[in-house]
Amino acid sequence: MSTLVFLEHHGNELQQGALGVLGKAASLGDGEVGAVIAGEGARALAAEAGTFGAAKVWACEDAEVAQPLPQPRVDVLAQVVEEGGYDTVLFANSVLAADVAAGLAARLDAGLNWDLTDVALRGGDLVGKRPALQDSVYAEVGWTSTPRLALFRAGSFDATAAAGGGQPEIADISASYREHSTAVQLEGQDAEESSGPSIEDADIIVAGGRGLGSSDNFTLAEELAKALGGAVGATRAVVDAGWYPYSAQIGQTGKTVSPKLYVALGVSGAIQHKVGMQSSGTIVAINKDANAPIFEFSDLGVVGDLHEIVPKLTELVRQRRG
Amino acid sequence: MSRPSNFPPPFSTAGYVTEPTDPADERIEVGVLVVGAGPAGLACAIRLGQLFEEHPDVAERLGDVPVALLEKGKQPGSHLLSGAVVDPRALRRLFGDRLRMDELPSFGPVPAESVYVLTRSAALPIPPPPPMRNHGNWIFSLSQLGRFLAERAEEAGAMILPETAAQKLLVSHGRVVGVRTGDKGRSREGGELGNFEAGSDIVAKVTVLAEGTQGHLTGVALDRFALHGEDPQVWELGVKEVWKVAKPLDRVIHTMGWPLRTGKRYREFGGSFIYPMGKNMVTIGLVVGLDYRDASLSVHDLLQELKTHPKIRRILAGGERVAWGAKTIPSGGFHSLPSRLHAPGLLLCGDGAGMVNIPRLKGVHYAIESGRLAAEAAFRALQRGETPASALSSYDDAVRDSYIWEDLYEVRNMRQVFGRGFFVGGALASAMTMSKGRVELGKMRAEPDADQPLLVTDRDAGYPAPDGQLTFDKLSSVFASGNKTRDDQPNHIRIERRVPREVAQLWAHMCPAQVYEVGAEEGDGTVLVDVAPSNCVQCGAITAKGGRLTPPEGGSGPEYTLT
Repeated sequence: MSTLVFLEHHGNELQQGALGVLGKAASLGDGEVGAVIAGEGARALAAEAGTFGAAKVWACEDAEVAQPLPQPRVDVLAQVVEEGGYDTVLFANSVLAADVAAGLAARLDAGLNWDLTDVALRGGDLVGKRPALQDSVYAEVGWTSTPRLALFRAGSFDATAAAGGGQPEIADISASYREHSTAVQLEGQDAEESSGPSIEDADIIVAGGRGLGSSDNFTLAEELAKALGGAVGATRAVVDAGWYPYSAQIGQTGKTVSPKLYVALGVSGAIQHKVGMQSSGTIVAINKDANAPIFEFSDLGVVGDLHEIVPKLTELVRQRRG
Repeated sequence: MSRPSNFPPPFSTAGYVTEPTDPADERIEVGVLVVGAGPAGLACAIRLGQLFEEHPDVAERLGDVPVALLEKGKQPGSHLLSGAVVDPRALRRLFGDRLRMDELPSFGPVPAESVYVLTRSAALPIPPPPPMRNHGNWIFSLSQLGRFLAERAEEAGAMILPETAAQKLLVSHGRVVGVRTGDKGRSREGGELGNFEAGSDIVAKVTVLAEGTQGHLTGVALDRFALHGEDPQVWELGVKEVWKVAKPLDRVIHTMGWPLRTGKRYREFGGSFIYPMGKNMVTIGLVVGLDYRDASLSVHDLLQELKTHPKIRRILAGGERVAWGAKTIPSGGFHSLPSRLHAPGLLLCGDGAGMVNIPRLKGVHYAIESGRLAAEAAFRALQRGETPASALSSYDDAVRDSYIWEDLYEVRNMRQVFGRGFFVGGALASAMTMSKGRVELGKMRAEPDADQPLLVTDRDAGYPAPDGQLTFDKLSSVFASGNKTRDDQPNHIRIERRVPREVAQLWAHMCPAQVYEVGAEEGDGTVLVDVAPSNCVQCGAITAKGGRLTPPEGGSGPEYTLT
């Protein structure tokens, strides 16, 4: 098996999700793993990719891939797959990666398994794991032809430096672009104002639910998150109520997260929320309703008034962290 | 006491009628445009395909797309739900020699049946009254049947466009010339998001509205062309679950009585159905007329309560809920049918037109039959190249000559008599059915469901606490419907948000998907209703009870597969 991983980067940062997929690919231990970085500053990031397990990094700094648009990246990947003879291409889901994966599947007439949460080698065959029926069961999926394409759900793998990772071989490449690939121009890009880490990348999340009582009380969640060095998340109910922006929504119709620590303040734990955070490491819930479903899947549950508990907790965390 | 109809929604059907607005060269032109991939629309598309195969010259004149079918759900079947014990005659007629019944995705004919009158702890068997006899009928999942019929329709040459909402009726010079589809990718405030796609004008020689219960454009057309029936339409709300069970159920069961109340002042008309879907699945559903008055009545929670009955608990023991859904059923019957089923360029079919036999709790076969008849009427008009306003009137004649008309006439006063209380109504209903409709009871006045004055009881205190095994809360049910609607889209539900508390309570309890919540006090005795539109499974109850459901962005709503 020869595997290629699409590494997405913004500014001079490789995306954690993509590095997680790279680490997973390297850990399969069947053949060398290559990585593609396309866009400004690609070359400078190649060494970092090496520490996550890439033996060879294909860096493309063509003007055509300067903007975060999918179609030119399809051209780059198609060329690398051909030149490098790869039979497997892996993606970590993002708005951009999903478009690139779909475009590459069409270009190569290849099968794409999407929304995978894991992958394994079994008797030489690659087997993907995909949640089905609203995540109530896992389906095992395979490929009937090569190249095999796979798109992994965000947060499927932690980005950890690979054992034996090191300086990769770097290949600069310049792709030939199809006319239609360069027909789209990026008109502008806006970044949402945010402080602290984004919730998909955060190791610690403090999530607020309707139990906070009002939008003003979100400062309780923000203060605690700040003290812990984490990000703030929100349930759909409070986003619906306009207490917090949609970008912080966790759950079935929001973001899927898996931080090491998840602190839920006044979150009832409806199943729509649960499916977005159930793979978190340690789940701590504070809620005054002892019958709230969240206590069924939290590691530590506190039944009580969060308005009394949270300020004290925040203070204690601050003291400990000094 | 308040009536929900005293607080009308900010909505007018006139806003959903428009001339085509896209430049002429950007319009999508099709021959026959069918709205809704349910049994009526799919039967219509399949029959048109058969006719075009016999007469390719007619199809050729219609351009590249002789038949197009719009579906607002993710795929055909996504929004189909029924207690589908189906009278097979319409399917047999539609397919003739082309398909045998055993080639359909069915769970087979009804094996046996029982009817019980329930009390809280007992179940008294009664002989099945004539309308409840199901011998010779077949058990389906309507969602599965829809997917199957959609494949047949595509084989027959129809182009199916899923995730496409029919938003506005295109009317030009007094004639329906197609529909405008809904925009996609708008934000909650209506702004254009990165993935914004404007809707399109789809123009057609004939437009067939087969939208099912509470059809959005059907409602628009009834107003625009003054097609309302003698009586207003009324509805029932059905909530059902599919269970994987440990031991097979050997019969179709209907229940009456508990947990509904029999007192006349409550106006609680309904009952349950329980039937096997093969050896390891069972469907259980509860249907309640939306002319009920108690603001604390919740069909969702009454179904949870029903499952705690010893008789029913035994059927579900050791099982697991695998699907859930809800939908309204038009129940006005004969007197509520539109005065005409056609308008220039337009035909109305199936549940959207109210073709349901309420005592038999059946309408799938009427939907299929009316779709087939609509196809034939459209074909006749297209074959002659006719476009006068009367070109489609042969559809009305065909429906009047069919068993749809005959059956619905026979039970024409069924729903109204139950307003006299369960036992009196039940006796009158039986008399009506057994005499094949010859007993003339005098036509009773039917009121819209939203005109019923409300009363408030404490019955919600008795709903069982959800245990996650046998009984469930509404949000878990919404999850089991497969609904994962995008949250940041415009609200598609029109209600007056500032209402007396009992009206807010009515909506909060009524909605099986927890869309409405009683919000803040406004200080003048009214409260503000909070709305969570993305929970909506588009059952349509809100339209019956004083609000208005409009189609959300295409692809929203439940994703039924087993219902």
